[in-house]
Amino acid sequence: MEKEVKLDPHGEALMEQFRKRLPELEQLAKDAYDQLTSALHAQGIYVTAIEHRVKSEKSLAGKLELKGAKYKSIEDVTDLVGIRVITFYTDEVDKVAAIAKCVFDIDWQESVDKRKHQLNTFGYNSLHYICRLRQGGLRFELQMRTALQHVWSTIEHDIGYKGEVKLPNEYRRQFSRLAGMLELADDEFSRLRTTVTDYRRQIQSLVKNGRLDDVQLSSDSFRSFVDLNPFDRLNKRIAAVNQAEIYPVSLMSYLPLLESFGLETLGDVQRFIEDNSEDAYLLALSQLAVTDLDILSSSTALQYLCVVYVLKNDGGRKDVKFIYDTINGKNDANDILADMILEQAKTLAFMQQERDKTT
Amino acid sequence: MKTNIHEENGQLIAILEGRLDTSVSEEVEEKMRPLHDCTDKDIVIDCTGLTYISSSGLRIFLTIVKSARAKKKPVYIKGMSANIRSVLAMAGFLNLFVFI
Repeated sequence: MEKEVKLDPHGEALMEQFRKRLPELEQLAKDAYDQLTSALHAQGIYVTAIEHRVKSEKSLAGKLELKGAKYKSIEDVTDLVGIRVITFYTDEVDKVAAIAKCVFDIDWQESVDKRKHQLNTFGYNSLHYICRLRQGGLRFELQMRTALQHVWSTIEHDIGYKGEVKLPNEYRRQFSRLAGMLELADDEFSRLRTTVTDYRRQIQSLVKNGRLDDVQLSSDSFRSFVDLNPFDRLNKRIAAVNQAEIYPVSLMSYLPLLESFGLETLGDVQRFIEDNSEDAYLLALSQLAVTDLDILSSSTALQYLCVVYVLKNDGGRKDVKFIYDTINGKNDANDILADMILEQAKTLAFMQQERDKTT
Repeated sequence: MKTNIHEENGQLIAILEGRLDTSVSEEVEEKMRPLHDCTDKDIVIDCTGLTYISSSGLRIFLTIVKSARAKKKPVYIKGMSANIRSVLAMAGFLNLFVFI
């Protein structure tokens, strides 16, 4: 059963002031949220969540019952409106704080960095600013913390504050241990992000400098490679057959296919393009010239390169079907596509050379 | 060319019948407008009765994919003939759709 809150006359007077100012508080919560959200977006900061709320009457009553005497008026309660920003990484808490400083006036006397603990203690980690909109009005509280810090404080609040019984030290210690563990995990996530960002930069630099044989084929490296438009020349040549427009699409679904061909580095992919471009063009020409298709996707060149590669490597119906199964999912209709490709390809020079080799 | 749009079991289904070529593309595009505005239903284009598609028809499909992708929704294609599917394949658009 919930404990009934009993307010003294001063507490009741503060509660009455709160009720009267509720519309103003609701507007403040909205304005503060809107201003902060738009500033974060403008700076390209993406966070897990931004929450805003006006303190509930029940929560305020609990607070006033405990320490109502310290407030002369309701304006002295600084968390009637609360904004909470939950970030992915620890360093983003500081970025959000820096942006908040530019958007709001901060009351430094009341603000507190609850991430600063004694050397040997672990617990609630969060940065709290008491702010005011630049245009004035009541103060509000801005809490900034990571997702893991948020999980800890939410669970600790849920378990630790329920009921009347004070938690024994043994259980409080378990909370501290978990806080320490999550602090480590937060640091590791930040470190991992930095490592991955460095790796991506390194790959981009190798690709840019043309050292393609040094770069293993992976989703990151292939994306960087595709940014250099390696299929552009062949795409434009194929598009010229029907003066077609080239419609941009993602090429990432072709990566598993290239890996299945045994291509291990971007150098291998570059050679794959050089070795097969002419025949890919001839195959595309044989298919498209008899149509009036004047729109092609930017994956057209890569698709024909894959087909030609398979055919040149003794591939048959099953192997051509595998191409379409990989890029579009398994489908019996891909057998018909494979047959159509094989039929059109058999008149091409490279297929005749392949046949001559086998006879 | 017939274009019919209806809702069924949480899906917005467009049924196309006949030849989708330049002469009818403007009219079909207009009739397909609800597919662009759809936010809460799966989009299905029933091509069982579709006998031909030109580039202008393909463009209609592509604009639908584009607006669906902005809402992180796939576009399902039902009953497409092998010939029309091969047109999509030739143009490199096969993997933009989910075939059911």
